[in-house]
Amino acid sequence: MSPLGPDDDPDRLYTVTGGRSRATGGAFDLVTLIVAECEPAPGMQSEHVRILELARRPTAVVELSAALRLPVSVVRILLTDLLDTGRITARHPRTPARAELPEPDLLKEVLDALHRL
Amino acid sequence: MSALTPTRPQPARSPLKAALYALLAALVVTGGLALWPVLAGPAASRTWLAWCCGTAAVVVSVLLAATVYAFRTAARHRARLADVEAAAGRLADETLPALVTRLRDGASVDTALGHTPMPETAAHRRIVETLATEVGRGERMRAAAMSACASAAGRVQALATSMLADLREMEHRHGEEVLGDLLKLDHSTAQAGRLADSIAVLTGARSGRRWNKPITMESILRGAMGRISAYRRIRLHSSSTAAVAGHAAEGVMHALAEIMDNATSFSPPTSTVHVYVEETQAGVVISVEDSGLVMTETALRRAEAAVSAKELDLMSLSGTRLGLAVVGCLAGKHGLTVSFRPSARGGTGVVVLIPQQLISQQPARRPGGTGRTGGHEAPATSLRAAHDLQDREVHERDVPELPAARERGAAAGSRDVRGTTAAPAVREATDPRPTVPDRDAGTARDGGASRGPDDPHDRSTPHRDAPDVPAPRGAGPAPATEYGPSGLPKRRRGQTLAGAPIPQNPPATGRTRSRSHEESAARLRSFRRAVQGEAPPARPTTPEEAPKDDPR
Repeated sequence: MSPLGPDDDPDRLYTVTGGRSRATGGAFDLVTLIVAECEPAPGMQSEHVRILELARRPTAVVELSAALRLPVSVVRILLTDLLDTGRITARHPRTPARAELPEPDLLKEVLDALHRL
Repeated sequence: MSALTPTRPQPARSPLKAALYALLAALVVTGGLALWPVLAGPAASRTWLAWCCGTAAVVVSVLLAATVYAFRTAARHRARLADVEAAAGRLADETLPALVTRLRDGASVDTALGHTPMPETAAHRRIVETLATEVGRGERMRAAAMSACASAAGRVQALATSMLADLREMEHRHGEEVLGDLLKLDHSTAQAGRLADSIAVLTGARSGRRWNKPITMESILRGAMGRISAYRRIRLHSSSTAAVAGHAAEGVMHALAEIMDNATSFSPPTSTVHVYVEETQAGVVISVEDSGLVMTETALRRAEAAVSAKELDLMSLSGTRLGLAVVGCLAGKHGLTVSFRPSARGGTGVVVLIPQQLISQQPARRPGGTGRTGGHEAPATSLRAAHDLQDREVHERDVPELPAARERGAAAGSRDVRGTTAAPAVREATDPRPTVPDRDAGTARDGGASRGPDDPHDRSTPHRDAPDVPAPRGAGPAPATEYGPSGLPKRRRGQTLAGAPIPQNPPATGRTRSRSHEESAARLRSFRRAVQGEAPPARPTTPEEAPKDDPR
């Protein structure tokens, strides 16, 4: 993964997070689903706008991180801001029940197919 | 003195000659006058009288001649003196300034001397030559020092840029534990980079780096903010969607960084500095307002003079206060207008006008939307993402079953996700398929592909309904499809983008999630068949045939 190059953006990550490097409170892990609770408002930080747009449907933190091209820890800080102002809600995915898991045979078939690709 | 003689006009008569003439004339006159008392006097004393009168006449004549000689000589000296003065004046007023200007413009000593009219006097010529040599040496030393500084600054710049890139990469790679330290290093490096940029600007080298895309105002401001030590005290108030042309972005950022640095260093360490952005007819106006010291009228004038100076005066620089000179250089280079005024907040306000020709507007993502788009969406990026998209569409449409198309789509999708943040947004805008950006890569053709992205009929339907209405491609009042000589449909350039819908809803992700595992496996099987060549060979399809080729 190389997000750098001539297309890199000039703003540094500490300006994105306002100098913070750690999210307060551990409300988010990689698969926490984020749902936007409101529309982006003018004058908001562009990353917040993007998060609210992406999270109209439940979206995992790690997906937001990939879409924003920002490290997960930075996305967590941004999400903390949004959570504190009530613009998003976070949902922890439940572990799927045993019955919902795909059959081992199916998984094996997928694996074989992937190997053959 | 003798060297001057040929240049001045010869007096009509040399002083000696004039004196002789005067002596002769005086002798004649006084001789005549002396004769009269001798003749008129008594004969007895005539001899004595003749001696007396003759002597007197000779004495008077000689005195007269001497006087004439003295006057003539004095006049001659005066004229000579005036000539010398005029020559010295010419030397000081014309010759030497012209010579120094030539030398400062970079001419060599010999060239400059050759182009300068040399004075006639040997002494003056020596003056000119000595001066030319000395000034030439000084200029060479200055140029050498400047270029040494410039190249050193350039190396530091390059180092800083690569360090920043490395740090960014590490920030992505490492977790939260080291992020704080990395950000600190990042910040220090950015400041060091700014210092190197300042030296580069002052020494006339080119600025640190060039951006090959317009940079949005938010990124400009944050880029500027990130280069100063007290960036936490800056408050941005911007809802501008304008972007600064790539070639000028670095300069604008640097100038703003210097201005912000001044504002933060000349205001109390607890106060905030507010940055406002306003779009006007003439361009974008950025005001930086602090609540620190109020600059006096004189200081304001001096600051204005510093930033509007046409030519950089290196002597006015002091080691620690390079900021305004740098701003002046950058303003001159990019046509920025910088003015200072007392701020309503109690401190000083700096107003920077970025001229309209450096500004490009971001394409509005939705009419009447939030009035603000993602900070990372530069048009160039969006355009490339759109190209990727178009390519993929062409492939999918023309050879629906070809795995290459699928791979290409996946590649395009994944590259978008990885390479450009703008991509998902663009895809939202152009692709009616309900996908989530990073899922899109894997499931590029999950049935939604049967609805051509360039089908305006289908595009008008809201996304949430789209999965349930698999209208065949080309069913709507689509633009008449043209066919090339190979029988493949031809896509008109720009047609896809022009007809792109404006998404009102987010990409629906539910469908991809709700797909059953068996269905996924079946799709994978068909994909595998396609890869292994078991499927019917890819053939040109018309839009009407496309749905039949759908893997489902």
